[in-house]
Amino acid sequence: MLAGVKFRNPVIAASGTFGFGLEYRQIAQKLGGIVTKAITLEPRAGNPMPRIAEVCGGIVNSVGLENPGIQRFKTEILPRLRNLKSRLIVNIAGSKTDEFVQIAEMLEEDQITALELNLSCPNVREGGVLLGQNPKLVKNLTSAVRKRTRKLLIVKLTANFVDPAVTARAAEDSGADAVTVINTLFGLVLDENGQPLLGGRTGGLSGPAIKPFALFCVDRVAAAVKIPVIGCGGIMNGQDAYEFLCAGAKMVQVGTANLITPDRSWKIVRELAVICRLKKSVQFKKVRKARCKK
Amino acid sequence: MNPATSISASIIRKTKLTSEIFSLWVKPENTESNPAPGQFYGIKPPDNADLLLRRPISVADTKNDRLRFIIRVTGKGTAALSRLPAGTKIDILGPLGRPAPLVYNKNVLLCGGGVGIAPLFYLARILAPSNRITTIIGVRRAEDLILVNDFRTLGARVLISTEDGKKGIKGILTDLVPRILDKMAEPVIYACGPREMLKKIDEIAGNLPVWGFLEERMGCGTGICYCCGIRKKTGGYLRICREGPVVNLKEVDL
Ligand SMILES: Cc1cc2nc3c(=O)[nH]c(=O)nc-3n(C[C@H](O)[C@H](O)[C@H](O)COP(=O)(O)OP(=O)(O)OC[C@H]3O[C@@H](n4cnc5c(N)ncnc54)[C@H](O)[C@@H]3O)c2cc1C
Ligand SMILES: Cc1cc2nc3c(=O)[nH]c(=O)nc-3n(C[C@H](O)[C@H](O)[C@H](O)COP(=O)(O)O)c2cc1C
Ligand code: FES
Repeated sequence: MLAGVKFRNPVIAASGTFGFGLEYRQIAQKLGGIVTKAITLEPRAGNPMPRIAEVCGGIVNSVGLENPGIQRFKTEILPRLRNLKSRLIVNIAGSKTDEFVQIAEMLEEDQITALELNLSCPNVREGGVLLGQNPKLVKNLTSAVRKRTRKLLIVKLTANFVDPAVTARAAEDSGADAVTVINTLFGLVLDENGQPLLGGRTGGLSGPAIKPFALFCVDRVAAAVKIPVIGCGGIMNGQDAYEFLCAGAKMVQVGTANLITPDRSWKIVRELAVICRLKKSVQFKKVRKARCKK
Repeated sequence: MNPATSISASIIRKTKLTSEIFSLWVKPENTESNPAPGQFYGIKPPDNADLLLRRPISVADTKNDRLRFIIRVTGKGTAALSRLPAGTKIDILGPLGRPAPLVYNKNVLLCGGGVGIAPLFYLARILAPSNRITTIIGVRRAEDLILVNDFRTLGARVLISTEDGKKGIKGILTDLVPRILDKMAEPVIYACGPREMLKKIDEIAGNLPVWGFLEERMGCGTGICYCCGIRKKTGGYLRICREGPVVNLKEVDL
């Protein structure tokens, strides 16, 4: 359950790491839900290649929001996602409040459960991170979208140079139903000549390398807000997911792990179920309380 | 459709082909994999935090249910794979990508630069019974040559270019292409190698279609991360791992 909506299990495929759910529908069906790649008002070509670099314990990407735009998403992609048995969450991005509002208004289809506002993409210079770094902007944007949609509203926060507990409160105050914590961290990868390796010059770090920091953020945000927190960052297996739930997350998102094997999120669902059964259906609230006392 | 689950495969035989290139015959467990020429597998380097992603490697040949990969050591992942002894189990995902189109009763020209010749061998084996095949292999040094006799065994005509001039003609592969094309009626061209080589061959070929085997750094290899684009002439990108890796070079901006 997330803000009154039932999910079949607590594992969601994170934005940008499961396409639009078309490639592996059979896996998408079994998860709690999937978040689409970010959709913008106009089509975007994205950044030049290369868009990915492997680093110790993670990857740095600079895809740059390549997507067909909201119109084509509605006409070409949404119809193919009909009858999906799991929850469909659409990740939306833009550089101005107005763009987010326009997109939100266009996404009324019943098959969509939630909108996830991407205020945290490090790969778009004009908006993205700047929006998510400023609590005032988070507030304005969230309340503007809130007024125009009845869907579940999730705000995806950044932890780049900003305290996500502060922006999470801003989102909560303006009507967000949940927050996703965290998006990728800023990253720079240099080649042997000291030049940027990625086509977008800088990118976003994800994978196991960010897990301890992501856990830290989830713990912190969960203590600061009453709305549910969706934990994300470096979850590679059931144990990782379990730790996020212990840290205060209601649900989790899995990103990088999907790139390694497409059914990895489904494997995490099963591993998590086994762990929870072994721990005799733990009450995560209790675990959290016990830890906070220490 | 791309598989969602990876499979375990044991290394049956490992051979060193040159100082940098090795060959792996692997046997996938409990599955039938029927890759087509041009398709590739994502091979997971042995467990190591530094090596998170799979390495895309083309199918160089098959026999019954076994797969052959021919790999050049270029960095950490391929080096780690090169150290695995026969008997080791590796985790592979595939077959991935769109296969090369097959032709019948044609004059086929295969152009392989360096280790790029590897995927063309599997293609040649499938095409050989029903086509006339000419292969050009281009390498820097004569000792980098691989698969020459294997192509000859298939009945293909083989031409060689080496930059050191110790085998075949002295020069680069594309020096040979115009001469060969002049003498071929309605050729069908397949090419695999560095981007500059593909570009040059496409120019030389003029209006003839060239099926290029493309490479790019990949995240997933399965079409879900959009990390592996190549610019389309009509605008936007196509995903090399999904709409490729074999594409008509006339349709993309190299
Ligand atoms: C569709 C496809 C088929 C391929 N088939 C073969 C083959 O049959 N034989 C063969 O020897 N090589 C092949 N390659 C190239 C091979 O994937 C790279 O050489 C290999 O990934 C390098 O890994 P590394 O860890 O040794 O190098 P590193 O430089 O340490 O790798 C760092 C990262 O960059 C990526 N990378 C580096 N170079 C390349 C490259 N040229 N292409 C794609 N990714 C790269 C790696 O996968 C890794 O994620 C193919 C590439 C593609 C895209
Ligand atoms: C290739 C790639 C593309 C991504 N694209 C998006 C995106 O479009 N929108 C978004 O909100 N997050 C995007 N992300 C961030 C992930 O959704 C996730 O928040 C982040 O990767 C951390 O989780 P992980 O460590 O499990 O990957 C992307 C991540 C990767 C690796
Ligand atoms: S590598 Fe992920 S889409 Fe091609």
